[in-house]
Amino acid sequence: MVKYILKRLFQSLLTVLLVVCIVFFLMRLMPTDYFFTEDELMKFTDQQKYAKLERLGVMNICSTCHGSGELEGGEACPDCMAHSTTSKGTGYVDRSVFAQLGDFFSNMIEMRVFNAKGKEVKSVDPVNLWTWWGSGSTSFDGKLKEGYTVRPCFNLGKSIRLEKGQYVTDVISTKMSVSMSIGLVSLAVSLVLGVVFGVLQARFKGGLFDSIGTAYTVLVNAVPHLVIYTIIMIGGAALFGLPMRYDATAAEPWRTMVLPIVCLSIGSIAGYMLWTRRYMVDELNKDYIRLAKLKGLSDRKVMFRHVLKNAFVPLAQYLPYSILLTVGGSLLVERFFAVPGMGPELTNAISRYDLNLVQGIVLLYATMGILGVFLGDLLMTFIDPRIKLTGKGDVR
Amino acid sequence: MKKLLSLVLALAMLLGAVSLASADELTELNTYETQARELETWNVHYSQAAADLNVLCNLFDGLLTNDNHGNLKPNAAKSYESPDGGKTWIFTLNQGMTWFNKEGEVQADVKASDWATGLEWILNYAKNDSYNVSMPAEMIAGANEYYEYTKAMTEDESQGAEAAKALTAEAGSKFAELVGIACDDEAGTITYTLVDSLPYFPSVATYNCLYPLSAELIEEMGVDGYRDVTWENMWYNGAYVVSYYEYQNQKVLVKSPNYWNDANCKRFDKVTIKMVESAATAYQLFKEGQLDHVSLDQATLQAIYDGTADAEYKPNLVESRPTKYSYQFHLVYAKNLEDGTTPDVNWNTAVANENFRKSLYFGLDLTNYFARTNAINPLSCQNYVYTGNGVSFTSDGTDYTALVRKELGLEYDSEKYVRYDAAKAAEFKAKAMEELAAKGVTFPVEVEYYISGASTVAAETAKVLENIFSTCLGDDYVKLVTKTYTNLANEVRKPRKASFYINGWGADFADPINFLGQETYNDPQAYYANNYSICNENSDPDLIAAYQEFTDLVVAAKAITNDMDARYAAFAKAEACMLNHALVIPCNYEVSWELTKINNYSKVYSMYGMQGYRYVDWETSTTPYTTEEMNALAAAYAAQ
Repeated sequence: MVKYILKRLFQSLLTVLLVVCIVFFLMRLMPTDYFFTEDELMKFTDQQKYAKLERLGVMNICSTCHGSGELEGGEACPDCMAHSTTSKGTGYVDRSVFAQLGDFFSNMIEMRVFNAKGKEVKSVDPVNLWTWWGSGSTSFDGKLKEGYTVRPCFNLGKSIRLEKGQYVTDVISTKMSVSMSIGLVSLAVSLVLGVVFGVLQARFKGGLFDSIGTAYTVLVNAVPHLVIYTIIMIGGAALFGLPMRYDATAAEPWRTMVLPIVCLSIGSIAGYMLWTRRYMVDELNKDYIRLAKLKGLSDRKVMFRHVLKNAFVPLAQYLPYSILLTVGGSLLVERFFAVPGMGPELTNAISRYDLNLVQGIVLLYATMGILGVFLGDLLMTFIDPRIKLTGKGDVR
Repeated sequence: MKKLLSLVLALAMLLGAVSLASADELTELNTYETQARELETWNVHYSQAAADLNVLCNLFDGLLTNDNHGNLKPNAAKSYESPDGGKTWIFTLNQGMTWFNKEGEVQADVKASDWATGLEWILNYAKNDSYNVSMPAEMIAGANEYYEYTKAMTEDESQGAEAAKALTAEAGSKFAELVGIACDDEAGTITYTLVDSLPYFPSVATYNCLYPLSAELIEEMGVDGYRDVTWENMWYNGAYVVSYYEYQNQKVLVKSPNYWNDANCKRFDKVTIKMVESAATAYQLFKEGQLDHVSLDQATLQAIYDGTADAEYKPNLVESRPTKYSYQFHLVYAKNLEDGTTPDVNWNTAVANENFRKSLYFGLDLTNYFARTNAINPLSCQNYVYTGNGVSFTSDGTDYTALVRKELGLEYDSEKYVRYDAAKAAEFKAKAMEELAAKGVTFPVEVEYYISGASTVAAETAKVLENIFSTCLGDDYVKLVTKTYTNLANEVRKPRKASFYINGWGADFADPINFLGQETYNDPQAYYANNYSICNENSDPDLIAAYQEFTDLVVAAKAITNDMDARYAAFAKAEACMLNHALVIPCNYEVSWELTKINNYSKVYSMYGMQGYRYVDWETSTTPYTTEEMNALAAAYAAQ
C-alpha cells in the first residue's frame, strides 16, 4: 500500500508539473500586447513597451548592441530587428520561453529580508535560493541592519495586473480562506441534507416525498442559476433582512455569508439527493437486501446498516475532492454576492493577462484536483475494505 | 418689480436649501462601483485611470482642488501667484501638513521638496513607465529634457535602469539642473518655471502629475517597492486613509486622524465603496438601505416613472448633473476589413467625402439614443460641441462652449434636437451618393460598430443606433452593422476594424487645447487623431485640407497666451471649423437619473482633472432627496 501511495504521489507530482508547464507555454503563445492595458497599448511608444516587457522578464536588452539598436559603425543591430519598424533595431530581444520557465521554477524559493517586527523590508530586493546559496549566504551583506532576518519563502511571483505588486501566494491564500469558509459550510449543509433527503426518497420511492424531491432536483437543474440566485437574494433580504452582499467588516459578518452559502448549497443538495437516491435504489434491488429482509431485519436496519453503507461508497470517493475544491470557490455566486474569493479570480487573471496569478492558480487547482482524486481512492478503501487499489483481480 | 420678485424667490429657495442642509446628515457614506471599474494601482503617480483616481484623490492632497462650482480652491497650497503673467508660478504651502500611515501615525512632515521628488518620479523613465509624463513634459521647462535623459540612461546598458532609478531630485542633481522647479522647504514655496506663459497652469496643479512624494518613503521602500505600493504600506497626506480593502468586494476609507485641514472641511467618518456586480444589484442594495445613492438604468427608471414598479420612489427621482465627459462619434479614416490588414476602400473613400460626413452630422436624430441614458429628458444629453461644458470661461463668465455654439449657429432647445435637419441631410446624402458613386463606392456603405460582447446594455443600445441609422439615413445609403469584441484595443482599435467609435473625453486641465489638441493633424501628441480616427493615413486631399485648416487654427489659438478671451475666441473658431467639416460628430453628455441622499450641488464639481470624487464638504440627508428638494438646491446653487 505504501509503495502504491508513493507511486501515486510521484505520478501526481509529474502531472502537476506537466499541467503547469503546458499552461506556462500556452500563456506565452498569446501576443505580448495582452501585457498592456488599453491605455498603455495606445499611448506607449514601442520602447516603453519593450522596457515594460523587459521588466516582466519576457524580453532581454540586446547583448549585441547593448540596447542602442545600432552597432558601433552605425548600422542596424541584426540581433534585435525582429520587431523593429524602423531602420535600426529595437534594442530588445525576445527571451526564450524555456529561460522564463527556468526562472519560474528557480524562483519558487525566494530569500526575503524581514525587519524586527516581521515585516518584509521592501527596499531590499529578494534573491532566489540558488543565488543566495551560491553567494555563501552573503547576498544581503551590507543591507542587513540590526534586527533584520533572512527567511526562505514560497514564491510564485507578483501579480502584475489584478493586485499589482502583491505576492501571488498572498493573494491566493487570502482569497482561498474566504472561499473555503463559505464552501466548507455549504458542503457540510449539502452533504447532510442531500444524503438525508436522498435516503428518504429511496425509502419512499414513488411516494409523495420522492416526487417532491425529484421535482426539486429537476427545477434546480432546469432553471438558470442566476435566476435562482436573484430570487434567493431578493427573498432573503426581504423576508429575513439578510445582507445582499458579503461584507467582512459588518458587525455580524456571518450574516453576510448566509445567502452565498444558501445559493451554493441549493445545487449541491440536489446533486447529492439525486446520486444518493440512485445508489440507494440500486442497492435496494440487490439480492443480499432481499435476503436480509427475508431474514426478518427491520427496514431501518436494512436501510442504514446495509443499503446506505454500500450506497455511500461511490459518494465518498468524491468527498475529499469536493472538500479540497472548496478553495476554488464559485465564479457565479462569488461574483453575484461580491465575495472576495477565488471563484472569479482565474477568469479575471486570464482576461487581464496576469501571468503569474494564472500560473499560481492553475498550480493550486491542479494540485487540489489530483490530490482530491487520490485521497478519494484511499478513502474508499477505508470505507469498503473489499476494494483493493493494488494487486490482481478486484483492482480499481 | 420683476427683479424684486426674483430676488425674493431666490432668497426663499436659498433658505429652503439651508433648512434642508441643516437637517440630519449622513455620518457614513455607502457608495458603489460596478466590478468592471475596480482600482488597479494604489500608486497615485503611476495611474491615469479614473477608477484609481476617484479613490486616490481622497488619500492625497495636491496643491489645489476645486469647489462645488468648479472654481480652483487652495488645498495643500494656501496661495498661488504668477509674477510674470503665467510663465512662472509660485505656490505657497500650508503649515503643519504631515505624511501618515494607514493607522494615522505621523511618518514625516510634508515639505516643498516632496513636490520635486514627485515630479522627478513622474519624469524618470525607469521609475514610472512614462505614466503622466505628457503634461509636465509639455509645460514645465526642462521636463522633457530630463525625461529623455533618464530614457537614454535606462536604455544604455552601460548605465541601465538601476542607474536611472538611483537618480533623485536633491540639490545638485541632474533633475535640479534641468527641470524648472525650485522648492524652498523653509519658506514652503514651490516655483514652477514653464516653457511658455500658460495661464491655465494652476488647473494642472489639481492633477496627479503634480502630486507630492516623500523621499523618505522611497528610501524606505525602494523604487520597485514604491511602484507596487499598496494601501497598507503607503503614506497618506489626504482627507482619508484606507482601513479595509478587498479586491472586488469593498474599500473602506476613514477620516485621517492627523489631517491638517480638519477644522476647515467636513468629512464623513467612514466611506464604504462597495463593488457590485451590476447596476441592477446596486438598485437592490439601495432599496435595502445598503447604498446612499444609485444611478438608474433605462428599464428601472422607466418602471419607476411609469409607476409599474417601485412607484414609491417616483417622488425621489433626481436628474444627475452632467459628468465631465463629452462623447463624440470618432470617425475612422483608415479602416481595415475584417482581416485587420486590408484597407476598407469603400468606407475610407466614403468617410473622406465631406458631404457624406455632413449627411451623418445633420441626418442622425439621436433622441432615442439619448433615451438609453436619460429616458425622461433625453435631450438633457444633447451635445453640439467637442469640448466639455464648464472647462473654461471667458472674463465675463461665459462658458467657452457657448462661443463654439455661437460659431456653429446651434443653441440647445429642451424640446427639440436642433442639429437634426432632415432636409439638409437629404441634400448632403444626394450629393454624397453622386460624388461617391463616381469614385466607385458601392451602396449601402457598411458602417461597422463594435461593442463589448459581455454587455447586454451595449447590445440593446446598438439596436437603437441601428434603427436610427436605418430610419434617418435610409437602408439604400448606409447600413450599421454591430459586431462584438472581448478586448477593444487588440481586436478592434489596433487592427482598425471599426468605422467609428463613440468615445468620451474628460479634460485633465482647464483649457480647450486639452480637447482640441487630441485631434490635430500630423501631431504625435494628438491622442484621438493617432489612435482612433487615424486621419494621418487617409490621402484624400480634401480631407487633409480640412484637417490642416483646423490644425492651423488650433496652433494659432494656442499661441495666444496674454489674452484669454482672445484665446478662447480663437479656439472656438478652430472647433467650429472641425465640426463644420464634420471631422468629428458630437454625440452626447452623460446625464442620467438617480435616487440619492447626497446633495449633488454640494459636491466638488470639476469638469476637468480628478477632484470630482473627493468626499469632502458634501451635504447629505438621511432620507433620499425628493425631486422638489433637489430642484430647490439646484436653484439655490444657481443663485449663488
